[in-house]
Amino acid sequence: MDPSKVDAEPEPEKPGSPLQSILYKSTLALYRVFALLTLYAVLVGIFCYAFVMGFYAINGSWAAPVILSASDEKSLDFMQKLVLSRQSIEDLKVDIIRQQTTLAEMDKYRASLLKLDSQLQSAIARERDHDQLSGPQLAALDAQKQADNRKTQELLTQIHQLEAEIESDQTAGLITKGDAAAQLAALNHAETDYTDSRIADVMLTDSILDKTTIGTKSLEVIEKQAELRSDIAQLDVTLSVAEKQLAEDNRQVQRLHDAIAIAKQSPYYLNANGDKRLYFAFVPYDNQASATVGAPIYDCYLNMALCRKVGVVKQVFLGEQVINHPIFKNQVRGLTILMDLSHPESAKSQTVFLGRKPLLF
Amino acid sequence: MAPILLWLIMFLCLMISVVKYLMGLILRISFPSAKIRKDYTWQPTVSVLLPCYNEGRIVYHSIESISKSNYPSGSFEVIAQDDCSVDSSYEWMLKAQRDFTNIPIRVGRNDFNCGKARTVCNALQHSRAEIIISIDSDCIFHPDAIRELTACFAEPRIGSVGGRVGVSNPNDNVITAIQTIVYYAAFELYKIPENWTRSVCCISGCLFAIRRTLLLELEPILRARHWFGIPVNQGEDRFLTHLTLMRGYNTYINNDALCWTAVPTRLSVLFNQQLRWRSSILRDLFYTLRTLPQHVFKLHPNTIFTMILTPLGAVIALLMVITMLVTNPLAWAGPKTLVVYLGLAAVFSWAIKKYSVRETIRHPLAFGAYIAWSLVSSLFITPLALLTFDSGDWGTRAKKRQEAPLGPVQS
Repeated sequence: MDPSKVDAEPEPEKPGSPLQSILYKSTLALYRVFALLTLYAVLVGIFCYAFVMGFYAINGSWAAPVILSASDEKSLDFMQKLVLSRQSIEDLKVDIIRQQTTLAEMDKYRASLLKLDSQLQSAIARERDHDQLSGPQLAALDAQKQADNRKTQELLTQIHQLEAEIESDQTAGLITKGDAAAQLAALNHAETDYTDSRIADVMLTDSILDKTTIGTKSLEVIEKQAELRSDIAQLDVTLSVAEKQLAEDNRQVQRLHDAIAIAKQSPYYLNANGDKRLYFAFVPYDNQASATVGAPIYDCYLNMALCRKVGVVKQVFLGEQVINHPIFKNQVRGLTILMDLSHPESAKSQTVFLGRKPLLF
Repeated sequence: MAPILLWLIMFLCLMISVVKYLMGLILRISFPSAKIRKDYTWQPTVSVLLPCYNEGRIVYHSIESISKSNYPSGSFEVIAQDDCSVDSSYEWMLKAQRDFTNIPIRVGRNDFNCGKARTVCNALQHSRAEIIISIDSDCIFHPDAIRELTACFAEPRIGSVGGRVGVSNPNDNVITAIQTIVYYAAFELYKIPENWTRSVCCISGCLFAIRRTLLLELEPILRARHWFGIPVNQGEDRFLTHLTLMRGYNTYINNDALCWTAVPTRLSVLFNQQLRWRSSILRDLFYTLRTLPQHVFKLHPNTIFTMILTPLGAVIALLMVITMLVTNPLAWAGPKTLVVYLGLAAVFSWAIKKYSVRETIRHPLAFGAYIAWSLVSSLFITPLALLTFDSGDWGTRAKKRQEAPLGPVQS
């Protein structure tokens, strides 16, 4: 024996009593059975998990059913937006009618202003023509009048000498007092006529001035004409703006109508307004090729095996949706389809498959 | 209610880890009292117990490194005990006995394979020294290791002292690089708060020093340790540390006492090693829970928290990983986790390069792979450990190694 070898160690301590031994053995047996089953279950679980992960990583035909209730938050939100859009259309229509009425009034007003301008223009032209004709005539008459007045003035000078003679004749008693008064009245009348004649001359001179030069009166007319044209120009600008606004409002109404028309094709609209239960499913973009109208839909056990046909794709909505991947739980982008399901319970499945069975059985 | 409780426990587990690492950092920098008072003048007799199984030529180098210790040669001996290796380990031990005559080397062999714990106990029978140092047979001693370990026993309440285990092959591959960082963080930060309260919960079996009188007290318990009649051979280091604390002694890790070990380079070996460790952690949890009242009265709260929450964290992590894989399978693959791990790798690799040059990692980014390992560890090792309590072997050395011809030694 090797001298360096130590004494053999004592055997491990055994359980004390037979009862304890039985207890230990049965506990161990149970533990081992449990451990064996659990470990195999864990192994199977891990294998299945890995297979499912791999399967969904490469499969290109799965879709995730989405159950939308009438009180679905998105549907309600969608409907609320739809109602608001319609309300906007109504408001815009009222605005359009008001704008159209205003535009019509403004058109009428503009027409009347244009007419007035035209009349004013005609009146000015007519008056100018008349002045051009009557002005020289009046000038000639004025010259004649002035010559007449000068003659009258000379006569009046002689008449003033007559007044002295009348007074001396009356004083001499050559004429009666009544005759003298009558003669003096006649002289006075002649002076008054002369004064009137001079006034008429002055007035005539004014008239000639008015007709032959541009006076303040003409300027006033021109100013009125300018104001009128300014009013028309401003009205044109206002009309142009109002017409553009009206056109924009009309376009906005059209856009809202278009948007509502598109929205009516949304699953949320259909869901909120449909009278019967609709079944939708999310299809990621990677699987879009499988999402064609009429493609069969399969529902499978364990999300991949023993599949059965449960319906067809009824409609494909092109609006983008983002949901969490049913297996990987990360966010994926895709679109929604409407399913025509013969087995409505399949809408509750985690996934369905479009076009064909994923594992051929 | 149950999920809230689960989250609460997980939170506590995480908290205690984070807090311990942070405390470790603070204590290292600011609290000299976290370090033990060492007395190098006290030089007790020492027996280095070297249990060995299928270690081959490495055991020769291990004994060689011990023989080069700068501890007084008359004050220490090596007791190498082979557990019926099926390779040439025993011959290598005998060769070492012949070659290194400057120190007493006793070589023994068990009559039958009985596991590391009992091999240590068998080796103990030949010791009369005051201090026992039990080591792994693949450990390469630093010349100061014995001196550093014994100096800590100057404090009379110290029952067990551990050393710092360094990685001798940090750049073999990604796996060893990861383990280097994990080892460094564990010894240089995680265990520092435990050092502060002199209550290290697990002293590594790579380098484990204990008072012989205490070990003799504990030996019957160690030998009698069984699980429903099946002898338990694993995790004797953790168990001994635990018992040391329960006997009212203090435990401490002296990071100046260095030894080097080659960490597993293959995933399968690492998996087996971690399985053994996890198994011992979980056994320890059950032991703690079974004797919780005694723990409450005898141990520091920090120790009890560590003893309960650390292993519980492994169980909760398993549940969390399962939940994560079911609810969000790709959550672990996000960039945030990677950034955190790479950040930690950067910090630790810098610290290693600065303070432990021999362990310098050439490719610290490899630590990113630890995310995948964490998943594997939580998902597979914990349940497997829970379901294999009835097995016990030498772990990484259980299988027969390639026979190494007993020839000239290349250092």
